[in-house]
Amino acid sequence: MSARTITFTLNGEPVSTTTEPHRNLVELLQQFGLFGARESCGQGLCGCCTVLVDDVAVSGCLYFAVWADGKTISTVEHLDADGALSKVQQAFIDCGAFQCGFCTPGFVLMAQQLLKAHPDPSDDDIRHYLSGNLCRCAAYPEIIEAVKRAAKAAYVSEKINR
Amino acid sequence: MIPFDMVEPTSLQEAIALLDPEDGSVRPVAGGTALMLMMKAGVFQPSRLVCLHRIEPSYARIAIKDGGALQIGAMATLSQLEYDVNVGKHFPVLKRTLRTLSNPRVRNVARVGGALAHGDPHMDLPPVLAALGARITIASRKGNRELPLEQLYAGYYETVLNKDELITTVTVPALDGRKAAYIKVTSRTADDWPALGVAVSFAVKNGAIHDPVVVVSAATEKVTRMANAERLLQGRAAEDAALNRAGDAAADEASIHSDAHGTAAYKRELLRVCLRRAVRKALSADAEVRP
Repeated sequence: MSARTITFTLNGEPVSTTTEPHRNLVELLQQFGLFGARESCGQGLCGCCTVLVDDVAVSGCLYFAVWADGKTISTVEHLDADGALSKVQQAFIDCGAFQCGFCTPGFVLMAQQLLKAHPDPSDDDIRHYLSGNLCRCAAYPEIIEAVKRAAKAAYVSEKINR
Repeated sequence: MIPFDMVEPTSLQEAIALLDPEDGSVRPVAGGTALMLMMKAGVFQPSRLVCLHRIEPSYARIAIKDGGALQIGAMATLSQLEYDVNVGKHFPVLKRTLRTLSNPRVRNVARVGGALAHGDPHMDLPPVLAALGARITIASRKGNRELPLEQLYAGYYETVLNKDELITTVTVPALDGRKAAYIKVTSRTADDWPALGVAVSFAVKNGAIHDPVVVVSAATEKVTRMANAERLLQGRAAEDAALNRAGDAAADEASIHSDAHGTAAYKRELLRVCLRRAVRKALSADAEVRP
């Protein structure tokens, strides 16, 4: 039905595009060539479609595209905007916290949110917070290690809070 | 998803006016996390969604009122509730419940009013809020009406809400020392929809359970109070014999069917065990509120 024009900030840049009410946020991002957020389970369970809307994590597959209007949207592609990986990204590499990498963008974004809510997370905090992210390569021990590594003082910087 | 129209009213009155009392294909959408699942599965196809995001921000506030009652605007997100300082301090059972409710992304988007109005018996907030004696305020063209939350549910995914009514506020009376707990059992994976939910709240007088409320969800087609179990708990100390009798009574009186989460017999056994555990958890849990 009614296509509409929406305007929002995407990874730091003001953008405008046309979308329809039945499109979701993942589909909207694909219009901009952004494929870091992937629709995998389509039910908000797996976390592969994690996107930050006004700095809050949402499941892009369960978020209407038209709701992006007027918002600030950030994706995993924005984390190295200044040329360097974020501390969480670096910790994931240092700990080998992935194999195929399909779920990694979602884990990285959720880990950053986790560290904002729990700057010094326990294993239990990490498991609970990331329970909605699935890694089918089962790199969970390394992921937990990476989150803790990122949380360590050396890794806490403005990047985590960006 | 199949195309539909979406309107975004900026006031509650306008939103109500855009709903159609006769047309089930016109529905309000709050966070949309549950509704979109139905739409993706093809079990609900709207002609028009009335988005509630732009209505007055006052409908998203959480506050403690005089007398200690908790007032939750229906458009508050579940995360707002989870991280609200007063909720953590005065209603720790809510904070504990929210921690294992779906995941942080869904809680960031899903709204309290939507979680109640959806009518899915597998959700966590309805049994807990019902056990706490919550009341809801419902707005329509005719004005406001109030209802105890436990009377909202008419059946599986069915509520007594008319198609042009919106929940605006949830009011939870002060605990006043009452103990409360919620236990859910997921039979397949930790993040699955539960096979059973049990919520209890009660006062303790002279070492005995007083004025208990026992609510069962997920295993039943709707959120249901267990009157016989409550009667058997009343005035009893939380000892094995009394708790087991109440568990047996609940397993007898609850209408439970077999489904993908387990057989009826299995879920009855879960109920027997979990009712006992829920009472024990309520008595021991209040100290361990996590930040």
